[in-house]
Amino acid sequence: MVMLRRIKEKLKKVMRKSVGRKKVTPDISEKKFQQKPEAKEQALGIQEMAVERTKFSQPEVARAPRAMPQDLPYGYGQDRIVLQVRDPWWLHTYWEVTHATYQSLQARLGDSFHSARRVLRVYDISNINFDGTNAHRFFDIEVGHDANNWYIDAAGPGRSWCVDYGLRLPNGEFITIVRSNVVYTPIEGPSWITDEEWMIPDDLFARLYGMGFGLGRSSPVGKAWQERVRRALFSGVLASPGITSVSSPVKKEAQRKFWLIVNTELIVYGATEPDAKVTVQGRPINLRSDGTFTLRFALPDGKQVIPVKARSSDDVEERTITPIVVKETK
Amino acid sequence: MHKGYLCIVLHSHLPFVRHPEFEDFLEEDWLYEAITETYVPIILILERLLNDKVNFRLTMSLTPTLISMLQDGILQERYLKHINKLIELAHKEVERTRWQPEFNQLANLYLGRFYESRHTFEKYNRDLVRAFKAFQDAGKLEIITCGATHGFFPLMEVVRPSIKAQVLVAVSHYENVFGRKPKGIWLPECGFHPGYDEILKDAGIKYFFSDAHGVLHGTPRPKYGVFAPVYCKSGVACFGRDLESSKQVWSSIEGYPGDYQYREFYRDIGFDLDYDYIRPYIHPDGVRINTGIKYYRISGSEEKRPYDPYLAQQKAAEHAGNFMFNRERQVEYLYDFLKKKPIIVSPYDAELFGHWWYEGPMWLEFLMRKIAFDQDAISMITASEYLQENPRNQVITPSLSSWGWKGYNEMWLQGPNDWVYRHLHAASERMTELARSFNNTDGLLSRALNQALRELLLAQSSDWAFIMGTGTHPSYAIKRTKDHLLRFNRLYEDIKANSVDPGWLADIEYKDNIFPNIDYRVHQ
Repeated sequence: MVMLRRIKEKLKKVMRKSVGRKKVTPDISEKKFQQKPEAKEQALGIQEMAVERTKFSQPEVARAPRAMPQDLPYGYGQDRIVLQVRDPWWLHTYWEVTHATYQSLQARLGDSFHSARRVLRVYDISNINFDGTNAHRFFDIEVGHDANNWYIDAAGPGRSWCVDYGLRLPNGEFITIVRSNVVYTPIEGPSWITDEEWMIPDDLFARLYGMGFGLGRSSPVGKAWQERVRRALFSGVLASPGITSVSSPVKKEAQRKFWLIVNTELIVYGATEPDAKVTVQGRPINLRSDGTFTLRFALPDGKQVIPVKARSSDDVEERTITPIVVKETK
Repeated sequence: MHKGYLCIVLHSHLPFVRHPEFEDFLEEDWLYEAITETYVPIILILERLLNDKVNFRLTMSLTPTLISMLQDGILQERYLKHINKLIELAHKEVERTRWQPEFNQLANLYLGRFYESRHTFEKYNRDLVRAFKAFQDAGKLEIITCGATHGFFPLMEVVRPSIKAQVLVAVSHYENVFGRKPKGIWLPECGFHPGYDEILKDAGIKYFFSDAHGVLHGTPRPKYGVFAPVYCKSGVACFGRDLESSKQVWSSIEGYPGDYQYREFYRDIGFDLDYDYIRPYIHPDGVRINTGIKYYRISGSEEKRPYDPYLAQQKAAEHAGNFMFNRERQVEYLYDFLKKKPIIVSPYDAELFGHWWYEGPMWLEFLMRKIAFDQDAISMITASEYLQENPRNQVITPSLSSWGWKGYNEMWLQGPNDWVYRHLHAASERMTELARSFNNTDGLLSRALNQALRELLLAQSSDWAFIMGTGTHPSYAIKRTKDHLLRFNRLYEDIKANSVDPGWLADIEYKDNIFPNIDYRVHQ
């Protein structure tokens, strides 16, 4: 049990941001309503995403901006609220309420419509048939008049949720305008429900659980391989250098501020009879149809002797010119 | 006797990017690069393994969008143009690096690879899908399908008819291409939510893969963890990913691809060389892009050393040995402990091999040869073979999960991309409404309805939300989302008003020509 809990803790660190709520039933007054999802950090799936990203690695073209299409409609003329799960702890909701609906509410409520607050009422409705009144608990999030979507910190893995968007009148009365679909947040650890026919002792499951997540310690793999490499090194079976980098870290992003790169290239060009055979450093080259040629070489430090030899098509005449180039870098 | 199984899955996917209306389109390069760097190298290793009669098993998902692009005449023609340009550039590089032997050998290597790529492309009549089909027909490769356009299912929860359409369109596309039904599916981004197995079952699919926590957090508790499949209540099997083997290949910290002997992805002559020289080979607008010719190896310091193909090959062989050794130990350990032959499921993005990790295909070939000849603890298997051998498995309900950042839906549901769902869901509902109200149609109306479903599916590609979520260069992804939604909305309104414009319809049918045999009625 202790082991399972320890692995679970470790796993939680991998899977969620470092600071998190653990209480399933948080005190409503404690809620940070405006909380937004945190910035990205190292977590599960980060490498998968990094690799996937390289498939689309081209830079944006700075050409005349692509004609952006006309805009999508702001709404679709329906009263509607949709609730989605982001992860075991967070929900996302978006809604639309038509002008006509607001107008009829205004007609009904008169002055109190204007002093009413726009509110999201979040219901915990796990394992019940929700009829609007029997939620285990609910909490309200006040949203601005312009808001049309919200991230909700429900902090309740393994529970069912439903959200109303509505008005809270000055007298405390809540009027539902739209009610969402029901969603279920996944549990954040292994299920406590076991299956008689497929029973496994807790400590064994804990080990299996850790292995499934590649959390190492419970698996025998790492050490044995190191041992084998050490032996192999001495016996010379694996002679490739850098053996210690079996798990070498990937290059760290260089922290360059100012930098300079200089390279040199050499252009050799000339002309002869269009049908002549020309070699440069002994290797044949192609002439353009007018008998000219251009060659371009990366020029390293040192001395380059570049004999350019042309031979007439009837093999009678030959000319050789040999530029010599010395490059030094200081 | 072997004590367990290894199931390697390569998920091959690119979103549908095809712009016949432009002569040259930057984002089409995603496909051309993947052909040269990933798909052709994988085909070549499978050919060699087959020729050498090596016993191996591999599972690959080929997404319907990728297959459609690989079989598209315009894109095939453009790939040829693309590879010819690269061959021309490589020739120049061979000449330019004449006095730098360490680079010259690399220029020659690339030149050879590019010729090989063109040759392979032409050998299969420009249709690389034929190659994969041949490996499947030979019994070595199991090709599975995916969502029609790689829509992320958990964020379609409120519009399940769209999930159904993603699955059914994919399955019938697969049947047209491969002449049989797919046995398995790669759920886009491994996105699973309890209940989706019913949709898969109705489509005749026998199994899918999920990330580790999908199974480990399933209810009731899975007795064998991720080391045996489970059945969902529908009877569809779910195979959980093993994260230990995954990490060794994926991870930048513990993984192989970060090794200092391997080729550096980020140093490309498209960026490194003199502008005037490289200009004809970068984007026509003059923006520097990757060419695929890269001369340096990864190194820890700022000083980059030239890539050494020989050392890299040695390293790939060593890493293949390491991977196999680890799986042997893992399998032996699990066998003793579970009293049952475990299956280790190791899925990767196919494009990781070759594109991101240049030596990846080589590593894979070494691995499959070593497994065939150098050991007997593990045996390679496909998921369907495993189920045939082990038909009795525990029944659980896997948990909501994905293999994305943080393991759930956040990669596709965060500040920069959450606005899309309001529109996507509205479009899905409108599509359902259309499908229900028009049962028997023909001619123009039927074409318009089918095109509406195409536009909806194209808008749903998870790639758009993904790219927006990464935060860099999102304009193409935003434009694609809007374009398809606007086309859909106009079709919806025109259909309802019985005023479809035949000229405009023909134009978008030409542009978004995916799934020629689509039937809008599946969206209900």
